[in-house]
Amino acid sequence: MAGPIQNILVYVDGSEESITAAEYGVCLAKSTGASLSALYVVNTRALNDLVKSRIFIASEEQEYQQDLENDADKYLNHVKDLAHKKGQTIEVFQKNGAIHTEIKHTIEELDADLLIIGELSKLQSRRDEFYNEVERAMRSVPCSVLIAKDEDLVWSLYESLA
Amino acid sequence: MSILELVTEDCIKVPLESKRKNDLIREMVAVLEGAGKINDSEAIYQAIRTREDQGSTGLGEGIAIPHAKVEGVSELTMAIGISPDGIDFESLDGQDAKVFFMILAPPDKAGQHIQALSEVAKITRSAAFMRALLHSQNPAEVLELFQE
Repeated sequence: MAGPIQNILVYVDGSEESITAAEYGVCLAKSTGASLSALYVVNTRALNDLVKSRIFIASEEQEYQQDLENDADKYLNHVKDLAHKKGQTIEVFQKNGAIHTEIKHTIEELDADLLIIGELSKLQSRRDEFYNEVERAMRSVPCSVLIAKDEDLVWSLYESLA
Repeated sequence: MSILELVTEDCIKVPLESKRKNDLIREMVAVLEGAGKINDSEAIYQAIRTREDQGSTGLGEGIAIPHAKVEGVSELTMAIGISPDGIDFESLDGQDAKVFFMILAPPDKAGQHIQALSEVAKITRSAAFMRALLHSQNPAEVLELFQE
């Protein structure tokens, strides 16, 4: 019988926490035989909102979108390297849109059965809970969600992989 | 990301003393310099001025969000200032600006910069919150509002 985890998606946003999530994803994929994918979302929804609210001018929107696309390449390549160093295959995806929506869509497209995210920042007010995009994704995705914590422990698990 | 992760009491000034746009930008840059958040205040002032020359960040309804992507900061940084009397910030609605959020980010932190600007944009949509913010008497009261 196949195990409970067949298809893992890791959400990567360039934060240290999300890189820890990617390392944990590699460990879990290696130990379960599950397939592994990583997603970076270029938050064009936020960019559009900043233009609509007149905080950004059009040239800033283009400049920042380019910056975010460069970040996507950089971090997805880093995650690919992390997987390949341990002999784990990985598929990476860059999508544009709203973070929580794109995470949900990608899970549905890939039929992923586990989403791994990095540790969420500490809530300091009720507003934080309301505004956190990854937390929204965590609540709305149809699959189980794993939050990778303890950067040092995860790193040593990753390092100990053959 | 929480705004409270970016702002401490020493990054808040109530009331701001300046009566003109450029002076106010310098005053807020000085707040960040005093808090040890930035080094090259003149370069940062110029970066913000350059952005303002492309179009005012005075959004209207008394709110302005001067911002820039600059080399002179090592991490995302924010200052909050309140000018109860308001100053002409060349806002789109022609009204004086009274509440200022200054956001500076290093060039390699585009994602965090956008996140911070988005969170400030969402907060400023609450008229009740902005009214309360405008009536804050000191930095501690400003922080308390963000903690609620």
